[in-house]
Amino acid sequence: MDYQNLFTQTQVIGPENHGAPINPYDQRERTKGIGFNYLLGKLGNAQLGPIYLGRLGVASLIFGALAFFIIGFNMLAQVNWSPIQFARQLFWLSLDAPSPKYGLRLAPLSEGGWWNICGLFLTISILLWWMRTYRRAKALGMGTHVAWAFAAAIWLFLVLGLFRPVLMGSWSEAVPFGIFSHLDWTAALSIRYGNLFYNPFHMLSIFFLYGSVLLFGMHGATILAVGRYGGEREIEQIVDRGTASERAALFWRWTMGFNATMESIHRWAWWFAVLCPISGGIGILLTGTYVDNWYVWAMHHGMVPSYPVTNIVDPSIATPPFTPTMEGVK
Amino acid sequence: MKKIYLSLIVLLSSVMVLTGCERPAFQKAQNGFRGTAMVDIQNPRINADKAKLNEAPPSLGAASASGDKASKVYQNVKVLGNLSQAQFTTFMVSMTNWVAPTEGCAYCHNPANFAEDTKYTKIVSRRMIQMTQKINVDWKDHVQGTGVTCYTCHRGNNIPQNVWFKDNPQNATGTALGNRNGQNQAAESVGYSSLTYEPYSKYLLASNAARIQGKDGLPNGNKHSLQETEDVYGLMMHFSKSLGVNCTYCHNSRAFSDWSQSTPQRSQAWHGIQMVKDINNTYMNPLTGVFPPHRLGKEGDVAKANCLTCHQGVNKPLYGKSMIADYPFLAEGNPLTVVADKKVAAK
Amino acid sequence: MAMLNFERKYRVRGGTLIGGDLFDFWVGPFYVGFFGVTTVFFSFLGTAMILWGAAHQGTFNVWTINIAPPDLKYGLGPAPMMEGGLWQIITICALGAFGSWALREMEIARKLGMGLHVPFTYLAAVFAYFSLEVIRPVLMGAWGHAFPYGIMSHLDWVSNTGYQYLHFHYNPAHMIAVSLFFGTTLALSLHGALVLSSTNPGVGQTIKTPEHEDTFFRDLIGYSVGTLGIHRVGLFLAVSAVFWSAVCIILSGPFWTRGWPEWWTWWLNMPIWH
Repeated sequence: MDYQNLFTQTQVIGPENHGAPINPYDQRERTKGIGFNYLLGKLGNAQLGPIYLGRLGVASLIFGALAFFIIGFNMLAQVNWSPIQFARQLFWLSLDAPSPKYGLRLAPLSEGGWWNICGLFLTISILLWWMRTYRRAKALGMGTHVAWAFAAAIWLFLVLGLFRPVLMGSWSEAVPFGIFSHLDWTAALSIRYGNLFYNPFHMLSIFFLYGSVLLFGMHGATILAVGRYGGEREIEQIVDRGTASERAALFWRWTMGFNATMESIHRWAWWFAVLCPISGGIGILLTGTYVDNWYVWAMHHGMVPSYPVTNIVDPSIATPPFTPTMEGVK
Repeated sequence: MKKIYLSLIVLLSSVMVLTGCERPAFQKAQNGFRGTAMVDIQNPRINADKAKLNEAPPSLGAASASGDKASKVYQNVKVLGNLSQAQFTTFMVSMTNWVAPTEGCAYCHNPANFAEDTKYTKIVSRRMIQMTQKINVDWKDHVQGTGVTCYTCHRGNNIPQNVWFKDNPQNATGTALGNRNGQNQAAESVGYSSLTYEPYSKYLLASNAARIQGKDGLPNGNKHSLQETEDVYGLMMHFSKSLGVNCTYCHNSRAFSDWSQSTPQRSQAWHGIQMVKDINNTYMNPLTGVFPPHRLGKEGDVAKANCLTCHQGVNKPLYGKSMIADYPFLAEGNPLTVVADKKVAAK
Repeated sequence: MAMLNFERKYRVRGGTLIGGDLFDFWVGPFYVGFFGVTTVFFSFLGTAMILWGAAHQGTFNVWTINIAPPDLKYGLGPAPMMEGGLWQIITICALGAFGSWALREMEIARKLGMGLHVPFTYLAAVFAYFSLEVIRPVLMGAWGHAFPYGIMSHLDWVSNTGYQYLHFHYNPAHMIAVSLFFGTTLALSLHGALVLSSTNPGVGQTIKTPEHEDTFFRDLIGYSVGTLGIHRVGLFLAVSAVFWSAVCIILSGPFWTRGWPEWWTWWLNMPIWH
């Protein structure tokens, strides 16, 4: 079978690349250690490191580690400090948000207070990391597109953990820190608010999610398919269109009637990926605040397909529910 | 390169096999409009182990109703006094088979004086007989004409294999850490999910409606929280496990709360919830003082019923076989009369 | 003639799989080819069927149109037209159109001297459709298990199929697939952003080089996969996401009938800690 440009056949290792220069003050923040990994080299670059430490990065990691350990120790305590049970029950363990009765107040530590603290540290860590993505681009004289893409994801994160709980008046609406428990939260949100499939912003978000996967499949495949013409040298192709870009564009033009350019495909990519968390965040924010039951909302907007009714009626209308009476109980 | 693909396929299949996937089997029933995927899926191989448990025991046959009444023949007969002697003794033998096959009559009675109320089991059984009658008379909305007998719950055991007790609050290490919040544990009760693992106190004992969806599109006073939603979800996992069915057996999940899209089974389940509340509040809870400590839970509460107690993994207990044909007195009576339930000292 | 200014020299004959020179031409910007003809045929027929079904249903509301598969009782046989037969024909048309599209992409790639990566990636997506509408229903013994054609109705199907297993999020293959979906979107945003940040560096700056791209990511996370590597990674993530999605649904029903949380008992009951 011919070479398909999926795995590098012959790896060429040059001298260690210490990176494009930044100002001498910041240069010290780059670590010295550089390694090479053969398996990585089969897919992409083999070089590992250097990494830029920096005050923002280190601070972000400290807050992140604190959040991580708060979650971890809470979980460990829940299994009576047994490391074996911790490993066994890990996916089920969770640090839960406070119960509804505390509203937006800081709950006692054992009843959600740790969740509040952990959430705060995690948010600080993420915001510091965002600043890092901004600064590193600026230091290299590059555009800040990565930072703004990250901002879209942070929007969704803040909607889920901060904006919406505040608008709902209760931390209990926020997502718990746990593997299965955050999946239970997802299911519970959809059940409580009348089936999120009927939320139009949820539909949009999924459209952009699937669209992103479609686009990366298309773009990745296209570039690999024109690898023999140097298609992966995208910056050069953008500035000086070569036969790789031309063939790539014509492939799509002939297939679907229109095409992007080597630069504009990356704009398609950026927007599709970024609109997924943006529209998703809007959809979450509207849930419970503006809409209490999305299925009923959709019904009022003529979006609900009808199936034959079953003629079942709520039995509690004809028969009162059983309530225990005090008499007769000894 | 070909070796990589081959080893990948081998790896994937071995993972599937080792992690216990099932061999395909076809047993599906459609519960809704075509294309809605409301389907009951069963694997007969998995269900085979339930067959033995759900065999109805052979009946001793209907006894003759003629002759002297039991209340005249025997002493201290507080319930079932209106039965004939033949019916009464046949029922006693049946009940022993259903509840205490190894212990025999001595499980409830003092062999030297059958009339005595010294054993707590005798006090409890009187109430249980009344409870059975109540279920069969007043809860036909749930049990239909099939009805229940002692066997439906007990299945030959002194204590039914599936009862529940209140849980002690989970706070493993003290005040600041370790509170599991009543969930986040791989509990069998909720099908090994992370949901609230004891939803029974709230919905099968106390009188809270298991409803959390609003009726209006825009907010209109529905204050139910996500926590309550998870509580109800946990209860629903219990329902699924107890009946061996999935959510679409009762619901069209696109609108869980909408009765006009639900199956008749949902209505029957609603009556089942009310029935279980009746059982637990009117019959079980008042018996707390009668049971000895070793029969009570960690919180000192009495054993209570939930769906699993009768259904035991099947949508109709004993596959829907009725046992009350030979025991018609279990489907009649005035179950509202409460019999004194204090232990009576031996005379 | 709707041609780009460099296009003429690429419009050569050849690369076809079937038909030779007969259909080797363009209509506007579209390449036709034998498989272009079959695509149009299947697409028109399928769309006409959908419109017929909608007319029969009595609505042209895009949200509520619903072409449903047959009842389970018809098993794997043909069903009456208005009782699911229409759905069956539309499915055949869909598969015909998708297959034709893939083969047409192959012809176009061959004509342009490109690798066949795009049609193969597309076939991965078609495989997902095929798993849902053919493989799984066949394994379960009835076409009625497949999803209906309708914007909201297919989502109702997704909801109920999920709840058949009590809590579908616990399906381990589903967890892998979802993670890969989110991971692909993350990688796409980063790749798009990185290229744009090099070619749109802001006022007063010069356009940057791949060395700058590598440096940015090494500064940020200690590793940069490189210009070729990112496209391999992106393609791998995208195709894997689709693959594991197909796995997660083929398992559900044919190879697992209980609730998905219960699947995890093999981990809980391992001898070392049970």
